[in-house]
Amino acid sequence: MKQTKWFIHPVFIFVLSTLALVISLFLYIHWYIRVSASLQWVISSYRLDANQFFEAQTWVVILILSLLVGVILAGILIIFIFNLKTLQLYRLQHTFINNFTHELKTPVTSLKLYLETFAKHDLPREEQLKYLGFMLHDTERLSTNINSILNLTRIESRLYEGEYRTVDVVETIRHFVASNHHVFSNCDIRVEDHPPLVHPLIVPLFEMLLINILTNAVKYNASDTPRVDITFEERKQDHALLIRFRDNGIGIAPQERKKIFRKFYQGRRDGLAPVGGSGIGLYLVQQIARIHHGKVTADSEGPGKGSVITLSLPRKDHEGIKNERDHSQADPHHRG
Amino acid sequence: MKETTAKRILIIEDDPHIAEGLKLNLSLQGYEAAIAGSGTAGLQLWKSFNPHLIILDIMLPGLDGLSVLRHIRLEDEKLPVLILSAKGETDDRIKGFTCGVDDYLAKPFNLEEFLLRVERLLTRSSWMRGGADDGETAEGIALQTYAFGDNRIDFTTLTAQCRQGTIQLTEQEAKLLRLFIANRGKPLTRKELLEVGWGYSGETSTRTVDNFIVRLRRYFEADPQNPVYFKSLRSVGYLFDHP
Repeated sequence: MKQTKWFIHPVFIFVLSTLALVISLFLYIHWYIRVSASLQWVISSYRLDANQFFEAQTWVVILILSLLVGVILAGILIIFIFNLKTLQLYRLQHTFINNFTHELKTPVTSLKLYLETFAKHDLPREEQLKYLGFMLHDTERLSTNINSILNLTRIESRLYEGEYRTVDVVETIRHFVASNHHVFSNCDIRVEDHPPLVHPLIVPLFEMLLINILTNAVKYNASDTPRVDITFEERKQDHALLIRFRDNGIGIAPQERKKIFRKFYQGRRDGLAPVGGSGIGLYLVQQIARIHHGKVTADSEGPGKGSVITLSLPRKDHEGIKNERDHSQADPHHRG
Repeated sequence: MKETTAKRILIIEDDPHIAEGLKLNLSLQGYEAAIAGSGTAGLQLWKSFNPHLIILDIMLPGLDGLSVLRHIRLEDEKLPVLILSAKGETDDRIKGFTCGVDDYLAKPFNLEEFLLRVERLLTRSSWMRGGADDGETAEGIALQTYAFGDNRIDFTTLTAQCRQGTIQLTEQEAKLLRLFIANRGKPLTRKELLEVGWGYSGETSTRTVDNFIVRLRRYFEADPQNPVYFKSLRSVGYLFDHP
């Protein structure tokens, strides 16, 4: 973003207007006291009836003035904070667009390079097949990137088409891992053996949550075979279903544990391949957990010691979800 | 081209597909190509593979492309380097040329244009080497000797005349001195010094830099406690300057 001139900088304007307001309050009171003092003098010198003029007490006037100024001040403060937030979001979005263009340009560059090579040279069949494989992989990368953006918009505006289905969570995860084996080819993903846990889920959304958690576990990982252990727990005291994803990755620094769920936020990975991605993966995870009335948290024993992503889904709230579903079906705006 | 041995080209690119595609095309053109997937690996191959030309990406893991380039330029001014980056804005190009790149191509690029640029860069550099090129890289050290105050540094013999008499400089000290001389009057952060001077990235302690500065001051400053040439800048790093 371009450097703005100092006199239109928000902080400067904020300080200036606050100062102006405080000075004006001081002057109001000052003049009020002076005017009433001279009135007093007039009254006493012409022996008029004082009650005709001083119906209200001085302190009441001052109090009201101060209250009004306080309200204006609070208003300015709120606008100022709001402005700061917008600016922050603007910067994040800017870096996001930068990262995302890079994410789009890399597969496009690769595709273009191979297509031009094919046009220029007559390669043997097996080499052709190898590079065609690269190109297919690049188109997959492109469509994943594009989908993540489209999904983000749909999930944010709660326009996602999806039915709650009561399914076995354990089996859903196991099936998902098995059918996406090609994505995690050199990774070790283990799903705990657990008796069926039936829970209402919007399955496509839940799968999106799974892929984002798993790719993060693999991406932020320096070991030769990234490993993810998925375990289940039914916590009785607050009727929650906990699903834990424990990885052997680079871990999360304590100060990043909350930040990683922010929109466009990307964790640092010192000395590892560039982050790639767009900074929306875990934000999506959080949004999807919220749609399911659950929440998601990240824990880590520290950098280098792996991390645990815990998804907790409320067990007692089946009725609530059902009600909301009925409600959203009744309301066409909810379903787009 | 009429050389007997194939020209060696080093590709420093972190995306395996693009790197492989470049290597394929360069090999088909008769060049010998090697791939480095990170900045540090690139610097290692620059030493061992001894390329005639480097193709460099900017967004690299760990040590970024521009730091790699600056590190190379401390030792070799003449080696042709072509940046191939997704960052194609004028600002990015200017940054690249300031660091001493010879050519800049934005991704996605045209293959034919890329190959022609590579060929041209190699032809030009072979003229500059006076045709006496037999596979050795030109020792393109721009800086032979340098004097400041009462000190004289000879970069060809790695010696310096200073208040301690004639001393022998280590390779690393000489590299750091070149970096300071190249950035005379400009503040350098510890991170920059470490990345460009040593080719390190990441968690390596910046104490290393401080220790080297102490040494340089002991060599060249009349009063190492009150330095005039190698000044510390609080919470920034160091600044080299002299009248």
